[in-house]
Amino acid sequence: MTIVLETRATPSARLIPTAAAAPERPPFADVVREHLDGLYGFCVRLANHATDAEDLVQETLIRAMRAYDGLRDPARAKGWLFAIATNVWRDQSRARRREVTTVPIDTPDGDDDTFSLFQTIAMEDPFPYSDELHLDFLRLFRDEDVSAVFALITPAFRLPLILTVVHGFSCKEAAAILEIPLGTLLSRLHRGRKQLERGLWDYAVANGLVTTAEGVQS
Amino acid sequence: MIDCREAVRRMWAYLDHELADKPISEFEAHLETCQRCCGELDFNRHLREVVAAKSPALPVPPEVRSRLEILLAGGQNQLENPT
Repeated sequence: MTIVLETRATPSARLIPTAAAAPERPPFADVVREHLDGLYGFCVRLANHATDAEDLVQETLIRAMRAYDGLRDPARAKGWLFAIATNVWRDQSRARRREVTTVPIDTPDGDDDTFSLFQTIAMEDPFPYSDELHLDFLRLFRDEDVSAVFALITPAFRLPLILTVVHGFSCKEAAAILEIPLGTLLSRLHRGRKQLERGLWDYAVANGLVTTAEGVQS
Repeated sequence: MIDCREAVRRMWAYLDHELADKPISEFEAHLETCQRCCGELDFNRHLREVVAAKSPALPVPPEVRSRLEILLAGGQNQLENPT
């Protein structure tokens, strides 16, 4: 009876030998420093603004510091920090009365949903003498052009893209960070990619990177 | 047999390894007979690589890092010496 009570009172001490106890928890600051650049980059892309990004990182760290004891596995700290940042960003967006989504996220995007960049490039044929038509199109874009296109994607669809394509999370990890079912994540990812395809084409036309069949020059 | 529209719909999930076995088989069976979809798959693979490559890491600027370090040091002290 005594043994049972003792075991209930301190299960880890009773059941796990000291030598096999969980490794000592790294200090919070060390865990954060390891992921700080990634977290900052994520926040810049979330907020689309450097000052807002710094506020976002600061608030994320304050919340993370308070919740650090609840993080079961410090090896998963990166996803955990990104999830906190996402929640902070949502809260800040609501507080500033900014629309987090600019289109209803449960209805199709119309043309965007069926738009194919691959087909559009083939049909418009903007580089008649190119042997690598599609690759030449992609080579037109500088880092800042891609950032500009990303910034125009509906936030609810942009987030899955940023997490998977830019930060290398799996779809399952991205779904956990965004606290949505995997099926919802995949659907939003699809729509984000379609907006990305449409955005790249529209940006190229609007900024004169390509000449279209309609004679929009460049 | 799936058509091109369905194949295109599954393409990114295929690249993400998020398709189940049956949809993968159907998708790959379609690719064997459709040169256009093979081309689009290849393009989408490049598109993803290019977008990732042109979205470089954004390191924390030094002045921001200094402010965050102060926050981290303060928070650490607060956790260790709560008042």
